[in-house]
Amino acid sequence: MALYRAHVLICHGTGCASGGSPKVLETFREELQKKNLDKEVLVIATGCHGMCEFGPIVVVYPEGTFYSQVKPEDVAEIVEEHLYKGRIVNRLLYKEPISAQKVCHYKEIPFYGKQHRIVLSNCGYINPDNIDEYISRDGYQALGKCITEMSPAAVIEEMKKSGLRGRGGGGFPTGLKWSFCAASPGNKKYVICNADEGDPGAFMDRSILEGDPHAVLEGMMIGAYAMGADEGYIYCRAEYPLAIKRLQTAIHQATEYGLLGENVLGTDFSFDLHIKEGAGAFVCGEETALMASIEGQRGMPRPRPPFPAVKGLWGKPTNINNVETWANVPRIMLQGAECFAAMGTEKSKGTKVFALTGKVKNTGLVEVPMGITIREIVYEIGGGIIGDKKFKAVQIGGPSGGCLVEEHLDLPVDYESLTAAGAIMGSGGLVVLDESNCMVDTAKFFLEFTQRESCGKCVPCREGTKKMLDILTRITEGNGKPEDLDTLQYLGEQIKATSLCALGGTAPNPVLTTLKYFRHEYEAHINEKRCPAGACQSLLRYTIDPAKCIGCTKCARNCPVNCISGKVKEPHLIDQEKCIKCGACMANCPVGAISKG
Amino acid sequence: MSDITLVIDGVECRAAKGDTILQVARRNDIYIPTLCWMEGLTPIGSCRMCVVEVEGNPKLLTACTTPAENGMKIHTKTEKLKQYRLQILELLFAGRNHFCMFCSQTGDCELQRLAIEHGMDKVRYPFLYEPFHNDATDPNIQLDHNRCILCLRCIRVCAEKVGAHTLDLEKRGWGTNITADLGKMLGESDTCVSCGACAQVCPTGTITLRDFVYRGRRNDCDDQVESICPLCSLGCRIKAYVRTGSVARVEGLSANSPDGGQLCHKGRWGLPKSTERDRLTAPMIRTGSSFREASWEEALNLIASKLGSASKAGRAGALLSELSTDEELSVVSSFFRDTMKMDKVDGFFGNMLRGFVKGFQPFADQGIRPFTGAHNILESDAIVVIGANPQEEAPVAASYIRVSTIIERAKLINLSAGKNPFDGITDADIRAALPGEMEKVLVSLREAVEGGPEPKEPAMAESARVLREAKKPVFVIGSSLAEHPSLVTEALNLAVASKAFFDDGLGVVPMLRGGNCLGALNTVIGESDWLSESELDFLYVLSTGMVDEDKRSLEAMTRARFVVVHTPFMVHPLVNMADVLLPAPAWFERSGHYCTLEGERRRMNMIVPPKGNLKGLSVIMDELAGKLGLELQPASAAPCENVYEAKSPSTSARTVSLKEVR
Ligand SMILES: Cc1cc2nc3c(=O)[nH]c(=O)nc-3n(C[C@H](O)[C@H](O)[C@H](O)COP(=O)(O)O)c2cc1C
Ligand code: SF4
Ligand code: SF4
Ligand code: SF4
Ligand code: SF4
Ligand code: SF4
Ligand code: FES
Ligand code: FES
Repeated sequence: MALYRAHVLICHGTGCASGGSPKVLETFREELQKKNLDKEVLVIATGCHGMCEFGPIVVVYPEGTFYSQVKPEDVAEIVEEHLYKGRIVNRLLYKEPISAQKVCHYKEIPFYGKQHRIVLSNCGYINPDNIDEYISRDGYQALGKCITEMSPAAVIEEMKKSGLRGRGGGGFPTGLKWSFCAASPGNKKYVICNADEGDPGAFMDRSILEGDPHAVLEGMMIGAYAMGADEGYIYCRAEYPLAIKRLQTAIHQATEYGLLGENVLGTDFSFDLHIKEGAGAFVCGEETALMASIEGQRGMPRPRPPFPAVKGLWGKPTNINNVETWANVPRIMLQGAECFAAMGTEKSKGTKVFALTGKVKNTGLVEVPMGITIREIVYEIGGGIIGDKKFKAVQIGGPSGGCLVEEHLDLPVDYESLTAAGAIMGSGGLVVLDESNCMVDTAKFFLEFTQRESCGKCVPCREGTKKMLDILTRITEGNGKPEDLDTLQYLGEQIKATSLCALGGTAPNPVLTTLKYFRHEYEAHINEKRCPAGACQSLLRYTIDPAKCIGCTKCARNCPVNCISGKVKEPHLIDQEKCIKCGACMANCPVGAISKG
Repeated sequence: MSDITLVIDGVECRAAKGDTILQVARRNDIYIPTLCWMEGLTPIGSCRMCVVEVEGNPKLLTACTTPAENGMKIHTKTEKLKQYRLQILELLFAGRNHFCMFCSQTGDCELQRLAIEHGMDKVRYPFLYEPFHNDATDPNIQLDHNRCILCLRCIRVCAEKVGAHTLDLEKRGWGTNITADLGKMLGESDTCVSCGACAQVCPTGTITLRDFVYRGRRNDCDDQVESICPLCSLGCRIKAYVRTGSVARVEGLSANSPDGGQLCHKGRWGLPKSTERDRLTAPMIRTGSSFREASWEEALNLIASKLGSASKAGRAGALLSELSTDEELSVVSSFFRDTMKMDKVDGFFGNMLRGFVKGFQPFADQGIRPFTGAHNILESDAIVVIGANPQEEAPVAASYIRVSTIIERAKLINLSAGKNPFDGITDADIRAALPGEMEKVLVSLREAVEGGPEPKEPAMAESARVLREAKKPVFVIGSSLAEHPSLVTEALNLAVASKAFFDDGLGVVPMLRGGNCLGALNTVIGESDWLSESELDFLYVLSTGMVDEDKRSLEAMTRARFVVVHTPFMVHPLVNMADVLLPAPAWFERSGHYCTLEGERRRMNMIVPPKGNLKGLSVIMDELAGKLGLELQPASAAPCENVYEAKSPSTSARTVSLKEVR
């Protein structure tokens, strides 16, 4: 490779790309050419940095200067000032939201400080469309080592030692799972990468696929070798066109390099890899439904046993792992199981990527070592609650997860402790809620999603979640009955116990955990017809404080349904029967005489 | 085979590896409630009624899908399980609207039965009042989605047994629904073959058969009798429900038999609907343009007098339905052939059968049984349909072909003059006019299979490749082929060349329309076709009144001077041809045997006792013989005996030269 004085990394993740990063890149090329710097400075399109909110992101190496929200018109200045004259463009530096300080270098950004980027280590650093860059960062070395120096059994042993557990939600020990499939008789086996990522708001897997696709390929190849599979599928959501394109390029390049196909690296090991676009249903992420979908059937789960390791895709032994799980494999095999197992807690090793969203100052993709506390994630990485409001809860594990409250802030994030507290690791959704979030409404929001996405096959999930949702809807509309809470509890437990797959098996979690920690909120809705957080529209009441009202008539003039009456210069009154709770009055009152609650 | 032991509700049970918990429990008389499970269909574990607790496993497992394992300790009746099951029933009732008093299935409904069994006395949730649609577009089958519990039995039977794949699911969540052809109404479906299997398996009042609802629910019926369908030579087993002395509904029998308990549209509707026809209850004699009732004595005297003179002049014939039992064919042929020494005896399908017989002969001469049980289509890996329309000729065989092709992934090749009966699922489709072009196609395929020149035409080349690679090909040959016996022979040559060898005979399934065609071969079918040419003075016609007579037979009846029609029903135009009408027992009033294509002699049972002034066939024949001064001779041939007995294994078959045969 030619030597360059500087590297300009321009994020081409989905977030930044939609913010115009391709145009930024093009402008960089033009400007560098104009200045005759194109032989000295290399421009690279990279994957996501997890800071999409501040995109397009541009990082200039060797210093690691971190520019955010770069527009094409800013490029000339960066080239002129930074790359030509060596002066950092202060104006474009990333502004840290907590301290409101400009931060110059990547490593100084607190958002990254507590992170431990292993799976994401290449994301944002290499050009995912260029296999050479992956190889230059030790890519495909682990594969070479496995298939030339190690027996399949030794690879599985190493995986077991690493303690890696499935990152797709279940947390099943990966090495053990591989050993089941390896032990299954049969000369045709499959490996599958689950890239269906259907949790609303989650984009961990997408970022890995977009930023470092070869890591996933390499992980799958190592797995295939260990289990004796010769064919693989990557089942990717159709809503991830960029990820699919990157994967196609990666497969193409790997094939050209002799890393995929017949006799990989001159050995007896052969492996073919296909991409299958998902049908866009959340349930297709469930492994048996996913396989049905690959087979061309309606994506509906089927009962296990038999497990995929025994009877999977087209009835053949199959191993299915999540994107992040696969992406961990090359690192483990390269650096050794001990190195990996040194991170994390006793039973949860390594790191986990979370999509941090909600009411925190820094949102984005974070990779943290297992065992980190929720407090560290929320307050140190996330920078605390927006507007310094009061922390209320985190909903962890996506729609099938549960919420954890203040008392859990120092809970170490690992599989066991999360499950014990009623939540799950899930695939890594982490939503922070503050005092303005109504917990009944939050539970309803997640249940709405799961009941809509239920495949409709089994009774408890199909009918039960609908009945739970009906009850929640009733409560948030002020029509709840005292016995509703017992019914919710009972139904929730029954659905969890009797559903066919984990969609139904976890769907009641948001309701059951909020019921446990926020029962008083439910009771306020039912008994007092009041939403303590002021979030439930139907329970809102706008009232005019007669002591403060100056009778300016502004509210009455702005009410779309004309339900405010009162004479000029006299206190006004809202007809609660007619009020549609639009809030126009409150927004228009010049003296703040109107309150809601 | 008992290689594992487990304990269910304290009972030690022995089982074979691979058995499900449900199977083991049933075998040991331990009741576990089920709803979506159905014998013979792939278990899917969707209703969750059969959940059980297994010690040491925190999860509940569905008995219908979970394999039994050695040492398992299973509990099926804990209080927790009872509550969960009750809850599931409540959710099902509340999931749509189940007002039993307005439901056509009430009394027959499995959901209702389970609710009663579980002591469901209330439903904690409001019923869903958002109405689903009631699909009444099909003339026979009604699909009221408001009663559906999504057990998916209908979808499974339609796919796994009928092979039609008409039914599927649409939408998600609580609005998930059954749909036909991915979004059509059932009546608009292109793939539905109207077999009614879906209605037979539906546990609720969702898919019902309108006719049957009015004739009586299963529970209203007084009796159930097992019998067989006589309408084609598959002889499907049926269960007939009897109510107030009449057949109220007919259903397929065993989901575990290869036919999967299905019936085709003919059996399902044709059989019960025939009970509505006008019955002939006493002998009748023509007076001008109408009939008058007569005594048996008078009618038989008249017949004897006409028959006596006509047979002396060699101008008497007998035409018998191949839908008759062995016993009937045997006694009638003993009278006409062996007692009266008449040679003009034949079946309605005589020409077709003669064609097949002639085509089969060179192989029968080798001691080979020239065909195999139709259900073997399900075991085959390559199916060649030659000039056949199985959906018309023997519809359940068409189900076998579809299932084998779509589910078992057998290759399907069609050779026909007209349109492909399996459009959309064939791997190679070849058009060839009968007989010349078809013969060329068959010969060139055989040569290619035997290693001769590869045909150039892609479909031909593909067919040759498939047949060379196939391990168990089967050849379904249509009745149109029988018009050209040499084509039948050539089709069998192709079968031999392709090594279509089954244990019971050559891998060939001839589409024989009548239920007892094979039985008729030994007893009834004559050497040549006399019916078309003869000017007859006397013609005896034995009809079951179940299928329309063909043109050739009707014309022969028109030409004949004196026609006796022996039939259960006043069906037109048949009775118009008669000079004397003799009442016969209907299919549900008779018992006897059928020689089926499935290689079994199957028994038809009397479902209801005969009504009217009937006389048994043997009595009639005996009396006629007496009136003619003869003694009824025993039949020279037993219908079902030695019909194409396999004297040599099919593997020893060799191809024959067509020239030889001609
Ligand atoms: C409703 C549902 C949706 C799921 N969606 C995903 C998904 O999008 N991605 C994923 O990797 N696993 C998903 N899973 C988990 C998979 O079934 C499976 O456990 C996982 O792919 C196994 O991989 P792992 O062992 O690497 O975690 C889902 C499970 C359920 C029940
Ligand atoms: S639990 Fe829900 S998603 Fe899973 S099989 Fe049942 S209905 Fe389908
Ligand atoms: S389907 Fe069954 S449970 Fe439902 S209304 Fe009809 S009889 Fe009652
Ligand atoms: S129509 Fe009947 S058989 Fe089909 S899913 Fe509904 S209840 Fe079951
Ligand atoms: S009638 Fe037969 S073919 Fe039609 S939908 Fe029902 S099962 Fe399928
Ligand atoms: S396939 Fe033949 S025997 Fe079976 S039901 Fe149909 S007509 Fe009757
Ligand atoms: S897409 Fe650029 S930081 Fe996420
Ligand atoms: S009978 Fe087992 S789940 Fe329905």
